[in-house]
Amino acid sequence: MIEVRDLQKSYGDLIAVDRISFRGKAGSIFGLLGPNGAGKSTCISCLSGLLKPTAGSVRVGGFDMSTEAIKAKSSLGIVPQELAIYEDLSARDNLAFWGAAYGLKGDKLQQRVGHVLNRIGLADRASDLPKTYSGGMKRRLNFGCGLVHEPAILLLDEPTVGVDPQSREHLFELVREEKAKGTCVLYTTHYMEEAEKLCDELAIIDHGKIIATGTLEALRAEFGGNDIIQLSGSFDQPKVEQAVTELHGEVLALATDTLMIAIRDGARSLPSVLQSISATGAEIHHARLSEPNLESLFLKLTGKDLRA
Amino acid sequence: MRFIFITVLKELKRRFNDPGALISSIMIPFAIGFLIASVMGGGGGSIKAGLLVTDLDDSFISQGILSALGQDQVADMVTLEKISLDEGERRINEGDGSAHLVIPAGFGQAWLDREEIALQLTVNPSQYVSPRLIREMLESLLDLGDYLHKVFGDELKIISQSVDSDGLVGISTADFSANITDKVSGIADLVFPPLMEVEDVTPEPEGLSVNMGLLMFPGILIMAAFFAANGQSSNFWTEKEKGTLGRWVASPNAFSAFWVAQWFTAMALTALVAAPIMLMGFFYFDISFEKYLSALAWLGLTGPVLFALLSLIQVLAPSRKSGSMISTLLMFPLLMVGGSFFPTETMPKFISSIAQYTPNGRVIEPLKAYLIGEHGASGMFAELWGILLVTLVLVLLTGSLSARKALA
Repeated sequence: MIEVRDLQKSYGDLIAVDRISFRGKAGSIFGLLGPNGAGKSTCISCLSGLLKPTAGSVRVGGFDMSTEAIKAKSSLGIVPQELAIYEDLSARDNLAFWGAAYGLKGDKLQQRVGHVLNRIGLADRASDLPKTYSGGMKRRLNFGCGLVHEPAILLLDEPTVGVDPQSREHLFELVREEKAKGTCVLYTTHYMEEAEKLCDELAIIDHGKIIATGTLEALRAEFGGNDIIQLSGSFDQPKVEQAVTELHGEVLALATDTLMIAIRDGARSLPSVLQSISATGAEIHHARLSEPNLESLFLKLTGKDLRA
Repeated sequence: MRFIFITVLKELKRRFNDPGALISSIMIPFAIGFLIASVMGGGGGSIKAGLLVTDLDDSFISQGILSALGQDQVADMVTLEKISLDEGERRINEGDGSAHLVIPAGFGQAWLDREEIALQLTVNPSQYVSPRLIREMLESLLDLGDYLHKVFGDELKIISQSVDSDGLVGISTADFSANITDKVSGIADLVFPPLMEVEDVTPEPEGLSVNMGLLMFPGILIMAAFFAANGQSSNFWTEKEKGTLGRWVASPNAFSAFWVAQWFTAMALTALVAAPIMLMGFFYFDISFEKYLSALAWLGLTGPVLFALLSLIQVLAPSRKSGSMISTLLMFPLLMVGGSFFPTETMPKFISSIAQYTPNGRVIEPLKAYLIGEHGASGMFAELWGILLVTLVLVLLTGSLSARKALA
């Protein structure tokens, strides 16, 4: 449903998106995970026809975005990062307008507006102006405007930014419902938990490049079955690196006060790790053992924290 | 086309959901107009026409005409300037003065002999009111002269023949006085009727009493259009900042449709804001309501030329703040020079000549001429296509320039 090939977007010397390729399928959620400024929104903008790619191609619903833009756009629903709603129009009028923008009219339009109002939980406030809504309600309306016309492909650009936990769960439900209906969902986020919870396939993006892609299981396999041990305290870096190597582990992150290593059979290895690290003169305050996750994968791949 | 219509309805709904701003758009021009009219001495202030006169006859009769035009009440409305034929022609061709009157040689004698002869009046086409005033005064003066000739024709001939003599030619002063007295007595019953109460049943004349307030009225209307246009033109930035412009671009609709919809919205808003002001003005100045719809249609169709101009400025500006600043900087001089704050009739010549090149001036002057009865609706609408064409070009240019900016 979405096919991106060697997509590049440059602004002068700055390459915002650097020859990335991926595919999104019907009835699945494809996640683009990366820190702020990684190029996720630029990528979404190219996919939705808001930006013209410098190179590469984008096909949406079988149509090339650069040569058959109107047809390609017809199958798209967009939920931008900002609240792209009219605060001086009621929720009902917002949905009706964006539905009409995609060609809905008459009873069909009214039916869809009513249906979406129910789904986003705003039926009882449908006639109120969004400026009287909470942040979460506005987010839900923003979401509703993107799916009122029943798009085959839904582009969600960090849809949960600034959303309270309850509204966030509600939005997750909506995304899963779209997936169950057969919609192809492209979801960008910098929250690993969201990506892990929702996405069937993922691409990790940094500095405009995809640095890893695949299902969550496939990405975890990058660690070769290793577990993650995180320590906090004070560390002598050269000595600690030497000790970890002797334990057949891999240093993922090392600073004067933190250490993260990947090591096989973490639960059994933990006592020897603590002993070896302490033997270097390090002072250990806290230790945590976990399975590999996207955060540790990102750290392994980029050497930096995704939350940074 | 359907989506453009839906977008216009959406925009109007947005405006109606902010009634405070809508009411302000109506009240501000009204308040400014009222203040300016008050400062300038109220709605009844009069304008003064400049009449250039070349007297080639230089007779007793021609001097009588000039003397009558210099009488107190007439002098309040007309400034008389005697001038040579060449200079008079030159100045009126340059638009200096309201009209040029040439009294041809032999006029006085021909008039006394009741021979056919004409006064030549050349009017300044760039002025609407003053030439009309002068023409009506001259017609009244000639009517009065005709009556005088019928009653005192013989006596006037004697006076004319005696101008260069010490006394009256061919008649004694006593006989001359007796003749005058007899004639006055003969018509006394007609010209000095007994006191009686007269009920005036004459229908109101169709023409309007032109005063300063009425001359300012179209300017106030265009001011309303200006405020409506200013708000609508900055909508580009509002939609861009809110992200709704991005949604629009991502939808399967041509981007130019966005600007066409904004243009049509500006038309509707201009008419909406102007309608109540126009209603009040029509009542106040006693303008025929037959003209109401045509005047409103004119303003609704042509007023958005200001929207198109301000939109182009907004799109060329690097930010909303600078766009608003440039628009405001442009708006007030345009309102002033284009005849919105002060009627062009009251402006110095070099400024009033600029008014015809301003967009608001192009909208105001035909409307003013229509409202004061200078010409009919067809005369006003004759300029419609030109203004619409300019608006269309500006809208398309704005659309083309804004496409990239919308996504930046």
